[in-house]
Amino acid sequence: MAVTTRYSAGTARGGRDAGAPQRHLDIVLLVSVLCLTAIGLLMIYSSTRSQQAAAGLDPQNFLKRQATFAAIGLVVMVVVMFIDYRAMRDVAPVIWVVIVVALLAVLTPLGSAARGAHAWFQVGPLDFQPSEAAKVGLIIVLAAYLSVHRGRLEGPQVLTALALAAVPMGLIAMQPDMGTNMVFVAMLMGLLLVAGARPRHIGALTAVGLVGVVAVFQLGMLQEYQLDRLTAFLDPAGDPQRSAYNLRQSQIAIAAGGLTGKGVFQGTQTNLSFVPEQHTDFIFTAVGEELGFLGAATLLALFGLVMWRTWRAACLAKDDFGTLLCVGVLAVLLFQIFENIGMTMGITPIAGIPLPFVSYGGSSLLAMFAAIGLVLNVHMRRFT
Amino acid sequence: MSSTRDSSRLRLGILGVVVLSLFATLLARLWYLQVLVAPDFQVEAQANSVRLVYTEAPRGRILDRNGDVLVENRIVPTVVVDRVAVARDPDLLPRLGAYLGKDPAELQRRVDDLRFSQYRPAPVADDVRKEQVVYLREHQAEFPGVDVVQLTQRHYPHGELAAHVLGYVGAINDRELEPRRNQGYRPGDSIGKSGVELAYEQALRGQPEVEKLQVDSRDRVLRSLGKQPSVPGHDVVLTIDIDVQALAEESLRQGLETARQTWDPDQLKRFLAPAGSVVVQDPRDGAILAMASYPTYDPTTFANGISTSHFQFLQDPANHYPLNNRALQGLYAPASTFKLVTAIAALSNQAIAANTTIIDNGSIAVGDPPTVFRNAFGTAHGRVDMARAISLSSDVYFYELGAKLDNPRKPYPIQETARSFGMGRITDVELPFEAEGRVPDPESKQKLHEANPEAFPYGEWFTGDNINLSIGQGDLVVTPLQLINAYSAFANGGTVWVPRVGGAVRDVVHGTSRAIEGRQHSKAAMENGHRDAVMAGLRRVVSDEEGTASAAFAGFPLSRFSLAGKTGTAEVAGKQDTALYVGFGPIEDPRYAVAVVMEESGFGSSAAAPVARRIFDGLVGNPPGPVARVAGRD
Repeated sequence: MAVTTRYSAGTARGGRDAGAPQRHLDIVLLVSVLCLTAIGLLMIYSSTRSQQAAAGLDPQNFLKRQATFAAIGLVVMVVVMFIDYRAMRDVAPVIWVVIVVALLAVLTPLGSAARGAHAWFQVGPLDFQPSEAAKVGLIIVLAAYLSVHRGRLEGPQVLTALALAAVPMGLIAMQPDMGTNMVFVAMLMGLLLVAGARPRHIGALTAVGLVGVVAVFQLGMLQEYQLDRLTAFLDPAGDPQRSAYNLRQSQIAIAAGGLTGKGVFQGTQTNLSFVPEQHTDFIFTAVGEELGFLGAATLLALFGLVMWRTWRAACLAKDDFGTLLCVGVLAVLLFQIFENIGMTMGITPIAGIPLPFVSYGGSSLLAMFAAIGLVLNVHMRRFT
Repeated sequence: MSSTRDSSRLRLGILGVVVLSLFATLLARLWYLQVLVAPDFQVEAQANSVRLVYTEAPRGRILDRNGDVLVENRIVPTVVVDRVAVARDPDLLPRLGAYLGKDPAELQRRVDDLRFSQYRPAPVADDVRKEQVVYLREHQAEFPGVDVVQLTQRHYPHGELAAHVLGYVGAINDRELEPRRNQGYRPGDSIGKSGVELAYEQALRGQPEVEKLQVDSRDRVLRSLGKQPSVPGHDVVLTIDIDVQALAEESLRQGLETARQTWDPDQLKRFLAPAGSVVVQDPRDGAILAMASYPTYDPTTFANGISTSHFQFLQDPANHYPLNNRALQGLYAPASTFKLVTAIAALSNQAIAANTTIIDNGSIAVGDPPTVFRNAFGTAHGRVDMARAISLSSDVYFYELGAKLDNPRKPYPIQETARSFGMGRITDVELPFEAEGRVPDPESKQKLHEANPEAFPYGEWFTGDNINLSIGQGDLVVTPLQLINAYSAFANGGTVWVPRVGGAVRDVVHGTSRAIEGRQHSKAAMENGHRDAVMAGLRRVVSDEEGTASAAFAGFPLSRFSLAGKTGTAEVAGKQDTALYVGFGPIEDPRYAVAVVMEESGFGSSAAAPVARRIFDGLVGNPPGPVARVAGRD
């Protein structure tokens, strides 16, 4: 009842609430995401082609693989979009179990290890990272649980929500994958905030989180190189040959782009691979160098559009579950964007978190498309 | 319900604010990096990916005063090897070494040598034969990454001639590099190490070719971004006359060889005659026409990196330091050649008149208790005036002057005169490593004693010190260059020049030339009348039957080309005598001054004067015969 009162403007437009949900597709969000993906493809090509060619490989190798994943991602998005999100609430427990099982399995010999983390399933020529899928899955699980208890969120409910998140996070910590867990924490905080957790709960959680961070540092639970990476941004001039190297090179690349950039394929830092992991976590440096401030700001604007439309979808959602689904996606996107771009510019710690839609990586791309699928889903069913 | 909705609105609002503030943060940082500080970072990005490769410019040539080339550059076919190819094919260097007849380990050392740019193929074998070049070109498949390029090398058409004046070049070392970093020198550059090569380094060097290469993060060269061509160095024209230089070197060598055949009745062995020096100067402007130092070395051995064993040979004391330029680094007691100074000092201070005579009994006693000072062999010369005292080199006459001029007045007259003639201080010649010498006085003696009481046990100045000084002995030491410069000053009427070997610097690119003018250092303290009196003595040294150099100059056309000169024989503790001769001519308008110093060679009149004679023969157009030793006493 209150809903119709508040969003009477929608109904007043007459006929908009009628008909198939797909008629209410959020075109702005969809186009923004497609633009981001296209920029990502271009930048991945730019930052990999010369190294590939130098190694005697197909320069379009990475481009083709990412394009394939983008195509699959679009299909996934459409599929997610057309399953009524309300149906997802009922299968939330199943989703949770599937997440946990998958995360357990990846730790067994079924999963494969790369770069020191046991985080992938190897399926033919493709890698699949269950923790990326777990991001979307846990949004659904937590949104389902919290929407049931919305407005009556007391200590026990908050603790239950924490427990639901803690199990997969524990498994992810064993891979280990610090970065993804940081995303989970952000997601949890966003959901608890909007779901109505009391300020003292949020305060307590923040305190526990800080204590945890301090404990991790103090108890020596991190390898020295991890510590170096995390703290390099505090002292970028520190040790240019080691951890600060990435940061230094990355800032040089971005700054060298200047206002208008050096032009696509013209970035020396990008083409000459001075920035490590440039097609994955450090893709923003290629954007910064080749497209300049105008290009990078455009990219931020596109992300801003995605944020705005997701936030708007959360506000417009017909029910609390829909709102919380959108908030979960918003929190994940926001954290990943801020952490990733901030890291390349030296204002956040270096953590292995991909830039949504832009970084090379199939699992991440599929998960992000699925997440946007959820938002579009909620958005187009706001009247039904 | 509406309260939770309101709360929900508030909470979504908070979330929105968080989103906005984080995006604002990112945008601000982006603006800071890409707009505010971008220029600084762009320089760094450039430095990241662009490497500059320097190739030295052809060094300027060195020519003698008549344009005869003394040092030039020779094109040398050089085998170069790409480092990547060496890394890929471990058998490449052994194969190449086998073909060129070189040790593969030596080739590897050249590849690893940091003096060569890492962005260019490394030169591993210089001066390869033409048929080897052809073979390597034809068998490219067998030697991947091997190429032959043309490099330049210092070349000396006259061989060892004038080696000490010319100097040599070598790879710059850290000590030389540090002060020159901002002049564009880099590790591996060649630089003048001595002589004119060092003195005129700036003019000779030119500006290197600079090529910009783009590299990737692993320093692999991707492409050239263009180059700035080199500017060749300037040519330097010397005052040296290569014919006079050859005459001086050959005469000195002959003189020393002759001395080595001669019996030393004092030490009962042949003269060692290991080393010596000759300088020929134009007294009219201080220009050096020849500067010889023996033993010498072949600068070609430095042109392409000298071998360690040969460098050790050149540094071994047993070989008498061939790299030292004795003309300006050798320190010798001038002995009787110094009597010119004592005579001028005595006349200027009215200690004696030119025509005053004294009786030379062969010795004098000075002080209480008396110390006896003797002539060589105790010979009594009888009644001598100044001219005769000079011509037959009466020590007793000058002892008297030394004793008379030893008074506590400051400065001491002999010392003051010696210094006004340029002795005991560097002459300021452009050539490096010049020694200062020493004119002793009470002050310097005290200092020597304080600094080294063992070698100099007395700090006090005795009259005996002044007496020793009066005949050019004691603590007095000068370089052959100081000696010739003093005699040139006497010859030209008192102008002490800064001796020089540089005549002009020619910019070969613009075709311009800058002459290097003679520079007057100071004026010698000498009156014309006094000069005439001393000159009479110096003339008689050569021309008078009694003169100590008359035997050496017998038959010289003195009527056509009058000569003045002075012999000297320096006693050196523990060694055989140093032979000296300094002379100039023609007396009326001196054009040539010649100084000869020969270590452990006996009397100046016997050993050094004949060398000077041969040089003067050559200078006046007489066919120079072999250096013949003559009998003599001083």
